[in-house]
Amino acid sequence: MARAARASNIRFEDRTFAGTLGELPWGLILLLISMALIGTAALYSSTYTNPAESALPARHAIRFVVALGIMFVIALVPVKIWLRAAWPAYFVTLAMLVGVELFGVSGGGAQRWLPLGPVNVQPSEFMKLALTLALARYYHNNLTSDSGRFFIHLPALFMILIPAALIFKQPDFGTTLALFASGSVLIYLAGLYYRVIAAVAVTGLVSIWPVYQFVLEDYQRERVDTFLAQLTGQAVNTLDDGYQIEQAKIAIGSGGWQGRGFMEGIQAQLDYIPEQHTDFILTVIAEEFGFLGATGLLVIWAIILVWGMVIARGSSSLFGRFAAAGCVATVGFFILFNVAMVLGLVPVVGVPLPLVSYGGTVMFTTMACFGIIMSVHLGRDERLNAQGVI
Amino acid sequence: MSKQNDFEESIDRRTVTAGLAGGLMFSGLVARLAQLQLVEGKRYQKIADENGVKLELAPPERGNIVDRFGLPLASQRQAGRVSIVREQADDLEASLREVARHIDLPEEEQRRIVQQARQQASFQSTIVKSELSYDDFARMSLLAAEIPGVHVDMASTRSYPRGRDVAHVLGYVAKASGDDLARLTDGKSQEEAKLLRTLFRHPDMRTGRSGVERYAEKWLRGEPGFRKLETNAAGRVIRELDSDDLAPVPGRDIGLTIDAELQRAAIDRFGEESGAAVVLDIETGAILAFVSTPAFDPNDFVNGISYSDYNALRENDRSPLYHKAYDGTYPPGSTFKMVVATAAIESGIDPNMHVYCPGHYRFGNRTWHCWKRGGHGSVDLHWALKGSCDTYFYEIAKRTGVEKIAEVSKRFGFGQRWELGMTGGRSGTVPNDEWKRKALGEPWYQGETLNYGIGQGYLSASPLQLAVMSARIAARGRLIEPYIIGDGPRPNEPIPYAEPLDPEIMDVMKAGMYGVTSETGGTAWRSGDLGLGGPRLAGKTGTAQVRRISAAERRSGILKGEDIARKLRDHALFVAYAPADDPKYAISVVVEHGEGGSSTAAPVARDILAAAIRRDSRRAARWQTASVAPSVSTKRSAP
Repeated sequence: MARAARASNIRFEDRTFAGTLGELPWGLILLLISMALIGTAALYSSTYTNPAESALPARHAIRFVVALGIMFVIALVPVKIWLRAAWPAYFVTLAMLVGVELFGVSGGGAQRWLPLGPVNVQPSEFMKLALTLALARYYHNNLTSDSGRFFIHLPALFMILIPAALIFKQPDFGTTLALFASGSVLIYLAGLYYRVIAAVAVTGLVSIWPVYQFVLEDYQRERVDTFLAQLTGQAVNTLDDGYQIEQAKIAIGSGGWQGRGFMEGIQAQLDYIPEQHTDFILTVIAEEFGFLGATGLLVIWAIILVWGMVIARGSSSLFGRFAAAGCVATVGFFILFNVAMVLGLVPVVGVPLPLVSYGGTVMFTTMACFGIIMSVHLGRDERLNAQGVI
Repeated sequence: MSKQNDFEESIDRRTVTAGLAGGLMFSGLVARLAQLQLVEGKRYQKIADENGVKLELAPPERGNIVDRFGLPLASQRQAGRVSIVREQADDLEASLREVARHIDLPEEEQRRIVQQARQQASFQSTIVKSELSYDDFARMSLLAAEIPGVHVDMASTRSYPRGRDVAHVLGYVAKASGDDLARLTDGKSQEEAKLLRTLFRHPDMRTGRSGVERYAEKWLRGEPGFRKLETNAAGRVIRELDSDDLAPVPGRDIGLTIDAELQRAAIDRFGEESGAAVVLDIETGAILAFVSTPAFDPNDFVNGISYSDYNALRENDRSPLYHKAYDGTYPPGSTFKMVVATAAIESGIDPNMHVYCPGHYRFGNRTWHCWKRGGHGSVDLHWALKGSCDTYFYEIAKRTGVEKIAEVSKRFGFGQRWELGMTGGRSGTVPNDEWKRKALGEPWYQGETLNYGIGQGYLSASPLQLAVMSARIAARGRLIEPYIIGDGPRPNEPIPYAEPLDPEIMDVMKAGMYGVTSETGGTAWRSGDLGLGGPRLAGKTGTAQVRRISAAERRSGILKGEDIARKLRDHALFVAYAPADDPKYAISVVVEHGEGGSSTAAPVARDILAAAIRRDSRRAARWQTASVAPSVSTKRSAP
C-alpha cells in the first residue's frame, strides 16, 4: 500500500512555510477563484440596471477575498489541532444553538441570531462545520476494523439529530437538510449496513405525508404545493406563488444552447425573477450563457468536489478523511439542492449557490469547508492517534 | 487480506460510491438543464421574447362635479404634452434646446429634465412640458417628428370650466405632496398605502387639496386599473392589450345643489365689493348659491401655482383664498334682533309692550346709543324690528338675560358647524357666562347682555348661519338643515338642536321683516320690491362694527365712511327671504366694509333673490333621485 509507505514521510512541522504554501492544491484554489469571478459577473449583469443594487458585485468580490484569507488561515492550521478542537467546537456551538432558542434575535420570520456582545452570530452556520469535525473525530476515535455493527452509529445519529432539531425549530429548513446530508454521507462512509439504509429510505418515503400534513409551516406547505403543481405541469398562477419558479424556468429555457450573451438576458435585466441575485442567480447564468454556460458551471463545481473527495481519500488518518468528505458533502449538498430548486426539481427552500449567490454567510461557510479540506491535504501523511498526537 | 485491509477498502469503496452517487445527481441536473434549454428552449424563448406582459398602473379618470342642472363645475380635460425618450434622442440636450426654440422652456428646466431622463430606463419617456396651449400643441405636433426623441401626446387634466365662480366650494386638486400622501395613507394597510403611493407618483394623478375635491377624494378618485402592456425582448412597450377586468374604475360624479348661473349672477352683482352670499331653498335646505368674492382660480393650482402668484393671493387684503360664506364669521349686528325678540317672547315679554327710545339707553353709569340719534319714540316689538331700534333691544335683552338668548340662538343654528361635505366651515361664537369664563377667564357682565341684544360683542356668525336663520324664520320655525352635496357622498350628521321654534312667534318675526322692507319706518323699505311686478321680499338689515366708535367721534358726529380707511369701515349685512307671502328662497348677504345694511347689502340681496326667482332655481335638479328627494313645490310664484 503506497499510502502506508508514504506515511510519516513529511510531517507538518518539518516543512518550511514556503514549502507548506507550495504543497497547497493551487489548482483547486484557482477553480474556487474562478467560481467567485463567475458569481461576480452574474451579479453585475443582474444588478447593473438597478442603482440601488449597484454595489453588490463589488461587495461580493470583497467578501470573497476576505473568505479566501480565512480559508488560508484554516488551511495552515495543522490538522491535529482541528482534531483536538472538534469536540469543544461542537459543544460550544450546540450551547449557542440552545442560547438562540432562549435569547435569540428574530429576523425575517425566524429566530437565528444570537446576540454576543456587539455582534449577532448565526450558530447554525458554525454547526455545519462543527458537526462535520465532531463526526470525523467520533469515527476517528471509535471506528475499528470490526465496526459495521449497528450501534456504533447511534451516537453519531444523535449528534446530528440534536442540532438539526434545534435548527429546524428556528425554523431554517435549508440548514437542517444540509446537516442531514453531510451527516448521513459520513455515517454511510463509516459503513452503515445497506439493509439499515434501505429501511430508513422506506420509512422516509412512508413519513412524507405525515410530515407534510403536521410538521411543515403553512408557508412551507404552500411552497410544496406550488412545486408539485409545476412539476406535474399544472397551470400555476403565474402572478402568485408559482411566479418565481415559472419565471426562472422561462429564463433558463430561453437561454438555449449558447444563451443571449452577457448582460443581454431579458428576464435577468427586467427583474422578472425575485431573488435572482441570491438563490436564483443560476437563472442569470443559464439565460445569458445558455446550456453550455450552465453545464460548464456545474462541471467546474464537479471538478472542485471530486478534487475534495480525492484529498479525502488521500488522507492517512480517519479524521482527515471524514472531515474532508463531510466538508465536500456540505458544499455538494448546497450546489445540488440549489440547482435542483432553480430547475424546479425540488421545492423552493432558501438554499444559495455557493460562491455565486450574493450573501455572506454561505460564502464564509463554503470557504471554511475548503480550508478544512486543504488542512487535511497538508496533513495527509500524518497518522494521528485518538487525541491527535502523532 | 487482513481485517484491517478489508476495513480500509470498505471505506475506500464507499467513498467512491458516494462520489458516483453525487456524480449521478449532477448528471440529473445537467439532463434537466438540457430538457429546459435544449428541448423546450424554443418555447421558453418565445415566451420571454414575445409575451413579456407587463402590468402598469393606470390612473382612474377623476369624477366630475356638476351643478344642479348638470353644468360641469369640475371635469377632466385633454391637454397636449411633450415628452422625450432618452434612447431615441442622439443628444438629449440638443433635442431639448431645439424644443426650447419653439416653446417656453427655461434652461434650469432643461437641466432638470435631462437629469430625470438619465435616472430612468433609456426607453422610458420623460415629460418635458404638460398643459400645452393650443398654439404650442399645434406647433409641437408639426415639429416633433423632426426632433429626435421628442413626442407629443394628450393627457387628461383637471379643469374648472366656471373658473373662480365656485372656487371655494370645489376647492382644487394638485399633485400629491408628502403631506398629502401621509394623510391619504393614514390608517391604510401597508399594501393599500403602497398602491396609493405608486398611483400618486403617476404624472397624471392629482389629489383634492381643499373643498369638495378634498372631502370627497375617495368618491371622486375611482380605482386604479392595471394596464397590460405587451413588451418585446428589450422590455419596450409594443402595444396596450385590451382587458376589461383590469381597466381602471373611473371616479364617481357629484351633483351639487348649486345653481351655477345663479352663483355667477350673484358674483356679478357684487362687482368690486368683497363679501359673501348664501341662497337657500327654504323647502329643502339646499344651498343654491354659496358665494365668496373675490375668489381664486382653481385652474391655476392644478399644475402647481407659482410661489409669487400664491403669495399675491395670500397677501391680497380681500382674502380671495378665504371662503367668507363658510369660514368667515362676522358679528351679525341687527340681523340678530329676530333671535333676541324670539328669546324675549319665549321668556314672557309681550310683543305689544312699548319701550320709549330717546336715542340712547342708560345702564349703570354708562350710556348705550341707538343708531338713530334722535330716537324712535315709543316702540313695540314690530316697530322696533322694522326700525331696528337698539334701545328697545337693550331693554328686552336685559330682561331676557344672556343664557336664554344663547339657548334660542342655537335653535336658530348659531354656534354650530354644518358638515356640508367640503373642507372648512366655522361655528362662530354664541357667548354665555360659561363660554366667557372658559375663553376669557371672566364672568359675564350684564352690560355685555345689552350688546348681545343688538348682535354685537363676542357674538359671531357665518353667512351660512345667517341664511339658515332667515330660512328657519321663513319656514315658520321648521329646523332647516343646509346641504350642498345633492348626489354623492353626502355627510349624514345627526341634527344637534332638534327642538323646533314656535310658528306663531315666527309669524311675528316675519311680520317684522316684512315691515323692514315694505312699511314706512322700515330700514330697507326701498329694497322690498323685487322688480318682478308682484312678489316682494322680507328682510332685516344689519351692520357689523369693525371697530369701536370712540366718545370723541360720537360727539363730533359719527364719521362718514369716506373719511375712514376702507378696512376700518363696518360690514354691511342683510338677511331676507322671498317671496314674502310664500317664502321659497332665503338669503344672507355680507358686504365687507360696505357700511350700511340697507344701502349696500339689501340691494345686492334683492337682485340675487330676483335672479333666483326668475331662474326658478328650485326646479328639479338633473341629478335628483329618489334617495335625495327634496319635495318640490309645484306652486310657482314668479310670473
